[in-house]
Amino acid sequence: MDARRTTPLIVGAVLAILMLPPLLMLVHGSLVDTNAAGAATGWTLQHFRSLLTAPGAAESLRNSLVFSAGSTLLSLLVGGLLAWLVERTNAPLRFLATLSTIISMGTPYILHVVAWLFLLGPVGPINDFWKSSRGTGKLVEVQSMGGMILIEGFLWSPLVFLLLGATFRAANADMEEAARTSGASILATIWRISLRLAMPAILALALFVFIRAIGAFEVPALVGIPARIYVLTTTVFESMKTMPPNLGQASAFAVVMVVIVAVLLHFYGRLSANAERFASVTGKGFRPRPFDLGAWRWAAGALIVLNFIIVLLLPLVALIWLALQRFPRAFSMAGLKTLTLANFTAVIEAPNYTDLAFNSLLVAAGAATLIMALAAFTGWIAARNGPGGRALDQLATLSLVFPGIVLGVAVMEVYLRVPLPIYGTLWIILIAYVIRFMPFGMRYVYAGVLQLHRELEEAASVAGAGYLTILRRIVAPLLSPAMVAGWLFIFLIANKELAIAVLLASPGSQVAAVAVFDLWVNGQGGELAAFGLLWTVLMTVVAVAFFLQSRRGGTDIWGN
Amino acid sequence: MKRILVALLAMAIGGPAQAAGADAALIEAARKEGQVVWYSTLIVNQITRPLALAFEKKYPGIKVQYSRATSTDVALKITGEARAGRIQADIFDGSNTVFPLGDADLVESYPVESAKGYPPELRDANGTWTALNVYFMTAGYNTDLVKGADIPKSFDDLLNPKWAGKMAWTTDPTVNGPPGFIQNILALKGEAVGMAYLKALAAQKVVNIPAAQRVVLDKVIAGEFPIGLMIFNHHAAISAEQGAPVAWARLEPFPSNANMISMVKGAPHPNAAKLFLEFVLSVEGQEEVARDLYLPAHPTVRAKVAELKPDAGGFKARTVTPDMLRAGEKGWTAIYQDQFR
Repeated sequence: MDARRTTPLIVGAVLAILMLPPLLMLVHGSLVDTNAAGAATGWTLQHFRSLLTAPGAAESLRNSLVFSAGSTLLSLLVGGLLAWLVERTNAPLRFLATLSTIISMGTPYILHVVAWLFLLGPVGPINDFWKSSRGTGKLVEVQSMGGMILIEGFLWSPLVFLLLGATFRAANADMEEAARTSGASILATIWRISLRLAMPAILALALFVFIRAIGAFEVPALVGIPARIYVLTTTVFESMKTMPPNLGQASAFAVVMVVIVAVLLHFYGRLSANAERFASVTGKGFRPRPFDLGAWRWAAGALIVLNFIIVLLLPLVALIWLALQRFPRAFSMAGLKTLTLANFTAVIEAPNYTDLAFNSLLVAAGAATLIMALAAFTGWIAARNGPGGRALDQLATLSLVFPGIVLGVAVMEVYLRVPLPIYGTLWIILIAYVIRFMPFGMRYVYAGVLQLHRELEEAASVAGAGYLTILRRIVAPLLSPAMVAGWLFIFLIANKELAIAVLLASPGSQVAAVAVFDLWVNGQGGELAAFGLLWTVLMTVVAVAFFLQSRRGGTDIWGN
Repeated sequence: MKRILVALLAMAIGGPAQAAGADAALIEAARKEGQVVWYSTLIVNQITRPLALAFEKKYPGIKVQYSRATSTDVALKITGEARAGRIQADIFDGSNTVFPLGDADLVESYPVESAKGYPPELRDANGTWTALNVYFMTAGYNTDLVKGADIPKSFDDLLNPKWAGKMAWTTDPTVNGPPGFIQNILALKGEAVGMAYLKALAAQKVVNIPAAQRVVLDKVIAGEFPIGLMIFNHHAAISAEQGAPVAWARLEPFPSNANMISMVKGAPHPNAAKLFLEFVLSVEGQEEVARDLYLPAHPTVRAKVAELKPDAGGFKARTVTPDMLRAGEKGWTAIYQDQFR
């Protein structure tokens, strides 16, 4: 047996078993009629027809598009401006932007959403201030499309900050220097040189954020549903929450989402390939000279502080306030007298909190380990154009077409039918995580391998090392910084994502993000805030480790 | 003489010893199973956790695993587990959980010994369910925001334009949510007038909160909404006891129903499940229910705040029986979907 041939086959088989059944079952589920017991009784197009006729179906598609476009624009504006200020100017207090980004990387999205709902809500400080100065009325109606876009936009701005920061950092300053020397003002230079150079990267990123926003669940569920604004993800979720669950309709909606995302991904691929053509990164080892903002320095610093307050400080203060109250109340002097540690005590003493924290860590670590192990083979073979490399790459990144909630439906359909005792255990969540985050592991390894020159492997081969020995003794050790960064990244996002696990978690197999969602739905805001804060501290430690590792290993954060 | 004494002694302790003996066998078997898994619809920190702790204290070595979800969610989870051939739940409760699960043949018949004295409307003769506690639904209001003459005293008061957009309720599609409100109005006012009322109420733009009644009440307490509809009156009492600015209004009749607790067919820990049912429905278990300010189902256990029940509270209630629920639920839910979503 030749390991060069068998390895891709084995890896390919594992990937196929993971990736293909969910997609097939989803399509199958959207095309069959089922009886009350959930067994298939025949083929039908009725689920797709009902998408056209069902009230609100077209509206949820339109809402999805508006919501995603709006939040993408906002996050690009906020995150992009911040990235530029931090990477390319001499604005003061730039570290604050990095700090809020690291902490928000470790915090489950849903915690941000809960905090924001409180801050922007009818009794939050903003409306409270408005009311006390005007006597009546509300400044912000958070449970609205505007509120959804606002919160989602701020949720994604740290990601935009990181990715565009990398773009700005790597940009060649020669052209900007030339413009400045020729007498162009700062604004003209930015407009005509910096932005134009970064435009392909910005467009690619915009599409990336748009795709993630189409699959977003937390904000549409918590902010949208009370305002009766449904998007595709919440429509799928609701179809699964009726008795009996409307699997057919959920699957049909899911298939529509998969098609939308697949089309967008196609364009994303072309855009990001295009972005590389524009790359002006050279081997020159210097950092571009930062723009001197002159008197505007302090205005820029104020913007950075404002962003820090909005993205990190206010939500944190809101959570601390909620955690210290026995019942929810607005910020007030009276509330200061009723502070209590009861919620923290409950969280620490009740055994189910420790159980679910342990579950989360276990399943996220397991998924990250499995993914990086699989990705080491797949990424290497793909990057080196080994036999079947292209096919393996496509298989491993197939799951990018699944929004989290859709993957939840698909994986559930598969493992309700497979006679393995997996449904209702942590295993089903682990499998879903592996499927969902496999592409990220791939990106880390692939990018890592591209940085290694082939001559090392060739030398080993000449010296008589076999295929797998080369992987084990040469490639793996050199890849370890990328592998560790990839592992930490997957560990972090697995603990952050709610949508994948929300349909798969069972009472005996809870994970942190779902537990936080349950606590919100079940009316335990105080314990939610207390648990969320403790969890955030833990995850921030991991996020710091990830950040240091990424810097050290020279890998690009977020694997892009 | 000595022998007679021994015989008498044996007789004296024989009776109770026998009952305790059956118990002892159950306890022993339950202890071997080590745990009981309870899918609850009750609010965890208010009653689920205290009940679980009380059970664990009485029967050390048997752990209670609990979780909370809506009635529909609990039913969905158990049917899913059954479909996958891997049932994990032993016990469940809820206002209408037992019916879909009964239809799917997933409910075990176990007439609970300690609930023998319960009135017939609070226990199923076949032992598929027993009432763990009873509910009285009404409106809750923030006492800082709603005072004196503003406090709604009848359902018609809710149509006052000043409450437009200022009332909220849960999306829970059960008799404890909007469908329960709807059936109450239809029964009170008749079909035609009732529907006209519901349309007028829908025009008031009642805000749907996709969360438990407890969350709605918390939003009332926080001042986000002055009025919350379809909240449990005892929740208002629990919060008021902690100093929250909240009280419950008297919109009569209060829709009332039982929270039914049952055992899953094919439960992985059947003995622990039976022991748990025996405990929570016994006087001791029901006293814990009362201590947590919930309204016990046991005929001799008194509610801690007596005014939460119609007799002492002096309010009219209208009970929704399981039969009424089964017959009407679909229609009420349809009206809710049509008018209020």
